[in-house]
Parts: sequence; C-alpha cells; structure tokens
Amino acid sequence: MEKQYVTLKVNGKEYEFPVGTRIGEIPDSETLSQTLRNRLELTGSKESCGEGACGCCTVIMDGDAVTSCMLLTVECEGKDIITIEGLADPITGELDPIQQAFIDYYSFQCGYCTPGIIMASKALLDKNPHPTQEELAEALSGNYCRCISHYTVMEALNSIAGNKEA
Amino acid sequence: MAEYRYIGKYTKRLEANDIVTGKATFLDDFKVPQMIFGKALRSPYPHARITFIDTTEAKKLKGVHAVITHKEMPKGWELGWPVHKKLMDEIVFFAGDLVAIVAADTVEIAEEAVDLIKVEYEELPAIFDAAVALAEGAPQIYERFKNNLVDPGVPHFQPDGPHWQVMYGDVEKGFAEAAFVAEDLVEFNKMPAPLAPEPPGAIVRWEGGPDYTIWATSQSPYILKLFNSPRIPGSNLRVKTFNVGGSYGNKQTLSVTVLCAALLAKTTNRPVKFFLTKCEQLMAHEVRLGSKIKAKIGMDKEGVVCAVEGDWMVDTGALADSVQGQVGVGLGEAQLVMAKCRNWNLDSHIAVTNKCPAGIVRGYGGQELNSCLALLMARTMRAGGFDPIECYKKNYVSPGDRYIWRDGRWWQSRVPTKFPEAMQKAADKFGWKDKWKGWGVPTSVNGSKARGIGAAVIGNADIGEDNTEAYVRLISDIKGKGSTVVVQCDITESGMGQRSNVAKMVAEVLNVPIEKVKVTEPDSMNNPTNFGLCGSRGTITSGKACSLAAADAKKKVFELGALHFGVSEEQLEMKDFMVYVRDNPEKKIPIKKLGPKDLNITGYGRHIEQFDIPSCMIFIVEVEVDIDTGFTKIIKITGGTDIGQIIDSRAVLMQLQGGIGSACVDTALFEECIYDPNTGRPLTTNLIDYKWRPFNEFPLYEAVIMESQVDSFMFKALGIGEISGAAGASAVMMAISNAIGVEVAEYPATPAVVLKALKKA
Repeated sequence: MEKQYVTLKVNGKEYEFPVGTRIGEIPDSETLSQTLRNRLELTGSKESCGEGACGCCTVIMDGDAVTSCMLLTVECEGKDIITIEGLADPITGELDPIQQAFIDYYSFQCGYCTPGIIMASKALLDKNPHPTQEELAEALSGNYCRCISHYTVMEALNSIAGNKEA
Repeated sequence: MAEYRYIGKYTKRLEANDIVTGKATFLDDFKVPQMIFGKALRSPYPHARITFIDTTEAKKLKGVHAVITHKEMPKGWELGWPVHKKLMDEIVFFAGDLVAIVAADTVEIAEEAVDLIKVEYEELPAIFDAAVALAEGAPQIYERFKNNLVDPGVPHFQPDGPHWQVMYGDVEKGFAEAAFVAEDLVEFNKMPAPLAPEPPGAIVRWEGGPDYTIWATSQSPYILKLFNSPRIPGSNLRVKTFNVGGSYGNKQTLSVTVLCAALLAKTTNRPVKFFLTKCEQLMAHEVRLGSKIKAKIGMDKEGVVCAVEGDWMVDTGALADSVQGQVGVGLGEAQLVMAKCRNWNLDSHIAVTNKCPAGIVRGYGGQELNSCLALLMARTMRAGGFDPIECYKKNYVSPGDRYIWRDGRWWQSRVPTKFPEAMQKAADKFGWKDKWKGWGVPTSVNGSKARGIGAAVIGNADIGEDNTEAYVRLISDIKGKGSTVVVQCDITESGMGQRSNVAKMVAEVLNVPIEKVKVTEPDSMNNPTNFGLCGSRGTITSGKACSLAAADAKKKVFELGALHFGVSEEQLEMKDFMVYVRDNPEKKIPIKKLGPKDLNITGYGRHIEQFDIPSCMIFIVEVEVDIDTGFTKIIKITGGTDIGQIIDSRAVLMQLQGGIGSACVDTALFEECIYDPNTGRPLTTNLIDYKWRPFNEFPLYEAVIMESQVDSFMFKALGIGEISGAAGASAVMMAISNAIGVEVAEYPATPAVVLKALKKA
C-alpha cells in the first residue's frame, strides 16, 4: 500500500506527517489539537473540554477560527493554520496588536482560555477590523472563561475595533 | 494616603507576555522523560459492591504497564478527614468512584485497557440527600460514620478541639424580644461545580524510598503536601506547580488524582501523568457543599437581628475532606453579617451521601450557608418593611464586635473600616434610592418584562489565615552596579496576580524597578512555608511576609551603609540599588559594594495567623423577569467593598468581577449539577449540559472600591476575591422576588421555578 501523508502549513512552515497506526505515525483518530500540541509542541492553545464547547483550543484555519479538538488532522490536508505562537513577529518578538491590548488592559487572569480568546478575536478582526461590541461578544460566545475576564477582554477588543467605551 | 511608586497602580503581570503568546506553561504542556499515562475505570452506580472483577485482558494489552483494582491496593492510601475511604475499595460510593486504574504508554492504550476490564456489581441502596442520610434508620454508607454523620472538628484548622456550633446568649429571650420572625427550611443544595477550565491533574515520579516528586495543577504546593503526605504511607513529597488554569479554591489537595498517579508511579517505577477529562472533572472531582437548614431568625423593631437558631445540614457527597473547616467558616460568616445579634443557637451536621464529593470552592462554606440564611433575613426585613441596605449597614460587624471563627476561638473585629459607607456608596452608584419601590414591588414593568432589584452582604475573616514566611534576597548583578531581587515565597498563580502583587510590594519597600524583582517558582522544597492563595489570604499574609522580608533586607543594607559612611542608619536612603546619605547626594554607594563580595543580603519576614480583620462585600443587582416565560436576565450588578488600599487597580477589579464566575451568581439562575433520579448518575458532565454564562450574555458591572487604609500590614490592604460573588445568588433571589411580587426561594430560579412561583406552571 502506498504510504499516506498529511501536509499542514502551520505558522508559515510546512509539515508533512506520515499517516498510519505505527509509532510516530498519525492515526485517523488524531485531532488537530493533539497534533499541534503533542507533535509540534505548540502548547499555547489548550485542550479543556475536548468537545468544541469551550474554545480553549481555538486556532485559525484558512482564516476561520476553529476548535482544533473537533478536527481530525487527516482531514486538514493542505490547510493553512495559525496558532497563538504564530501571532507575534518571529524575529523581533513584537506582539500582535491584540496581544498587546490584552496586556495593556490586563485582559486575562489564569490565562488558560486566553490563547483561544485571542485567536477567535484575531479571526474576526482580520475579516472585520471594526466590529461592534455585539459582534465581538458574539464571536467570543464559544469561548469559556471562568475567572471572568470578559469585561477586560471587551475593553481591549473595543480599543482595537475603535469602539467608544460601551 | 502614602505616595507610592507601584502600589495602587496597574502593573503588567509578571506572566503577561507568556500568557498572551502561549509560552506560559501549564501542567498539560509539561513532560517528564519516560512518562507514561494513567486512566481510571469508574463506577456507573452510585453505591455498589464489586462482586467480580477480571483484568486479565487489560493486562495483556501491549503497552500496558499496570492495572490496579481494590484487590491489589496496598495498606494505607486512604482518603478523608477523618480517614474513612480507601482509594479503591470493594464498594464504590458514587457514580464516578474508582474501580480500577491503569498505566500505559499512551492515553489511548490506557483507555482501551480500561474498556477491557470486566466488572460485575451488586447495587446497594444509595442516598442523595443529607437530611435522608441523617434520618433514623438510613442505610450507613461508611463504617467510620455512624448515621452517616461526619465527626466534627478538623485538627489542623481547629487546634483547641472540634468546633461545629455557635451557641451563646439566650435565644428564647432573643426571640421574645423580636418584632419580626422568619422560620423555614431553606436550601442551597444543587451542589454546582466551580469548573476551572484546566481539569485536575498530576504527574508523579517516585524517586525511591519515601521520596516522590509531584507536579500538579494545584493552587497550593504546601496544602497538597500537607494533606497528601499522611495519605501516601511513609512518604516525603516534593510538590511543584506551574501556572494553574483556574481553581477557585477547588484544585488544592487533589488527593484522588495525586494518589492514583503516585500509586501507579510506585508500581511501575515510571513517572505517571494522571489528568482528568472534563467529564471526569464534573462527575468525580469536587463540587460545592450541599446546604440545607431549618432556621429561625428574629429581628427587633429597629431592624437588628436579635436571635438566630438553626440546624445546618451539610451534604459533603461521598468524601469528607476538611469540610469541617468550611462549616467553621460558614458559621463565622453568619455572625459577621448578623454581628449585633447576641443570641445564637446555630448547630451543624455534616452528612456523607452517594453523590460526587463536595470540597473547597470559592466561598468556602460561607456562601453555601449565607445563600440560605439570607432568604430568611430578607423575610424579616420584608416583615418589618425595612430597606435592606439600611438593615445590612446596621447589622454588619463593626470594630469591637465579637464572633467565633473557624478555629473555634473568639475573635474581636479590631479594624476601623468604612463598610457601611462602602455599602451606601455602592447603593448610590447603583441608583438604589430611585429603583427601590419596596418589598415585592417591581422597579418597572414593561409588558411582560418586570424589573426588580436586590442586595446582599457577606464577609470573611479568613483573610489573615495560616502562617506564612518569605525570604527576600538582594543578589548582585554580574555586570554593572545593580542588583536583582529574588522573592522566595511559595505562590502559585491561578489568576489572581498575587505573584506580581508581592513583587510590587517588595519593589516598593526597596524602591527598585519592578523589572528587577523576580519571584521563585512555586515549589514546596525551594521555598519557605506558604499556604498559597486561598481564603483571600494572599494579600495580607504573603504581602506581609514579603514586605517584612524586604524591610529586613533593607535594614541590613542600611546597617552596612551606616558602617561604610560612618553615619546612623536613619540618615540613609536607597533607590534603584544605590544607598545615599540623606541631604548629601554625592555620598552614595551601590548595594553591590556593601558586604562580602558575591554574597547575598537576605531578609526574612513572616505572618502569623489572625482572624480579627473581616472583609466585606455588598452585591447589588437588577434583574428583568419575563413573567410569561419565567426567564430571568441580569441587567446590572454593582459590587462594593472597602479594600483598605488597592495594590493593583486592574487586578482588584477582576477579583470583584470574578465573583460572577465559579458557581456564584448564576447558581441563582441556571447553574446546578443534575442527577438522574432513577440511576443516581450525574447528567451535567460536559460543558454543554452544565450551563455557564457566555461572552454575549454579560450584564453591566460597576465596582465601588473604597480605600480607608486598614491597619492590616505595611500596605494597609485586605483580600476580597473569596467573597466577591458569594452574596450574589441571594441578591438575585431578592431581585426576582421583587420583580414578580412573589417570593422565590428555590435555587436556581429557572423559568420553571419562576412560573411555579407565579402559579403559572
């Protein structure tokens, strides 16, 4: 049988993985979250609920925010993926404006859900640079946060979207 | 108020860059060489005897290192305080209890092995309610607990002996003097889950002999060590933590998880990672205590509570693990809210049941009892026609008032605070005067939408709990004239920003740039003792130990400087690692040049437990109830407190806003753990069935924070997070009752509950 591969472009780099059930190969059952976290050691996005409800594992795939725990890696052939590690400038370390705003407004507490929230926000702001407060909140409605950083997250995002204080 | 360089301002968190770039390490991001993975087979029955168990097929599976059932359990490895439960037993005590644990090369192999274990059960009668458990003739769940009653007292928290009741004064006389009395069986009993985003987990490596290294998702290495050392026979534990993905008091001892990993590690001689899934977290980790009380509250004609009587029944689920400490705090907080009352007869009984274990959750017993008693206090206020804000102001603990705290000892509030003023300021900000139309009267009605307001108050004297120590070391930089400050204090960051806060305090004392202050990684061996961030203790206890350690180091610098310049210590000043002679600025020397070459200057500071400073939080809320559908929406929340002194303006704001989460406010609307009444199995074991508030449903939140400079420690501050939402649920109940004109007293007030109250269902 011809050897199967799956190719992913992650944070601008191309990775070709062998598909199969032997050691080192990606089984059909492996999720994108597992591949990113365990094989590429991109551990920034978190796995919390494992069923697409909490948004902690959110990454951007071909421009859309997706929950990477709900996608099988073998189905992501050729996809262009950006993770939280891919936002800051790789050479200078300069932060993405969203990341900087999250620091300026202190928009996190424990930080477990933060990478997912930033990626979901990034996907929205890339498509719509000036969303309303309602559009922002709607875009984040799938992101669980239990420390309650919602208010300070909205402050940071409103500042980027150019919304006046609500 | 003092002029500060850092205190009171917003300072970027030490971990900020790591958190927003994904570089921050949490347990699940960390690996130990040779690590293998643990998984559990859990009981589908709430109470059953294992009549047959066969692990042959599981053990045969390639990649499996160990399968352990109750039959292979070594001696010791027992749970509870007092000890009452083996890690694994022939009997399972709740749906989710351990039947077998497996270690394998991968999670997938471990899961497959779990599926290959064959088990047969004989079901036993199960109990799902504390009142039923405590009733005469109820089946006994544990041998240790006759009538399912948990022994009062927990030695570590109650050094003088058990404390489980508040009895003083003359209750009969108190009720005789009362003008208004409310008496009822009230409950806050749905045992909701605080539900940290990061599940409980641990990696344990057995180092040989008694030594184990534990990396855990615990908010406190020391508490984990304190509780688990006796539970792992003959052990010496070293506990390390990373960033913790939320805890809300709920990830501390992690006993079951830690013991599973440790037993598998010892059996296989490999490091074992045991990390729960969200489903396991919701079915088998710890939830809020169940709380039910037949109580009677008397209030005099001035609106002051004059008698309190009741028997608090506490449901601790299938495990009693220091719940007695929470009961002690619950009883204490009741006294803070009704502090003028001198006639008490408040008893408690803790029961084990066949439900998911209850444990520590933000609010720590106080929230669970207050959510009940507040309903009755509201009835007395309603009967007397009192404005609740005025009533809370009159009844809340003030300097000189005495109360029995959770250690069983009498304490006297010694700190002049402006809590009544803070309550009033919050009410003013909220617009209480205009919105309050009287009891049972809506603020406004628009078609089917009725708005109502409510308020509740809670307090906490645990904010000075447990002893703590810290070192502050001034380390000379290799290059340049500067130094670096290392704060050695065992603080795990689970979101409060307290590692940064102690860095700010130390930078303030030493007058150095915050960037030059580092805090050691949390580790029970490399740091002196600290219980970590629980009970809102971080600000006063870690703050005091660290600021005193910095002051001690500063004193040593001045002693050396005085010798160097031939002046007195009082004539010296320091800034940015330079020592100056006051009014003579050309006389200066880098700290680095004082003292023996290459050696550190080290200061030591400590805090000794005290319970004489209570905090206070008022929670005011406006809701809108749709009287056709019964659906309630929160419109606005105002939280008010006197914090003494703000350490970090943004951090304290989020401590207040955080009161909306972790099974607080929404336990009045939709949060609950639901069990199938036929099978005794939990049904809310995922993030879809367990309800939580999403981003697009957050109400307006306003904070009113007074800073009256409390005499707590050098920086005059208090802790608040433990109780920032603790009065929220009862405030919502009051608001709903006022909106619809009928009292609603059932948590959570789902549409069905509201329609029932309106007699529409």
